[in-house]
Amino acid sequence: MLATVRKQLRSHPALIPLFFFIGGGTVMSLMYLARLGLRNPDVCWDRKNNPEPWNKMAPTDQYKFYAVNIDYSKLKKQGPDF
Amino acid sequence: MAEDIKAKLENYRTAPFDARFPNQNQTRNCWSNYLDYHRCQKALDAKGADNAPCEWYRRVYKSLCPMSWIQKWDEQRAEGTFPGKI
Repeated sequence: MLATVRKQLRSHPALIPLFFFIGGGTVMSLMYLARLGLRNPDVCWDRKNNPEPWNKMAPTDQYKFYAVNIDYSKLKKQGPDF
Repeated sequence: MAEDIKAKLENYRTAPFDARFPNQNQTRNCWSNYLDYHRCQKALDAKGADNAPCEWYRRVYKSLCPMSWIQKWDEQRAEGTFPGKI
């Protein structure tokens, strides 16, 4: 199948950017899904050993890509310890 | 520490920004504060200390959670079917 694609690309070289863009888009989508699955503190994979992953975040941890108005370095833990 | 909490409670307007829950879906925030309030009460009562600081968590979950959820969870706790770990 790869040989067929290679033959067709040789006669239509203008199609090569198409592969780059579609491939790049696929890779980016998969990477975002992986980040959501593995890094998102709402997601809990192991209920026995890591039951509440959001509690492991410090008050200054930033999960979002871009913070509009929040100055993360000034945040503190709000509730009392117990 | 207790004075800070008292000051914070007196100036309370609404639940503050919590970096653990930065997105639009605040369900976990509500759940977490509900659990934290009851765990805090249980822990401080077991130590025999004053559980007034726990009031912060109660104010936050009252701000965030729909009343029907709070009523449902209170009934579940009374019956012993509450799904969370307190």
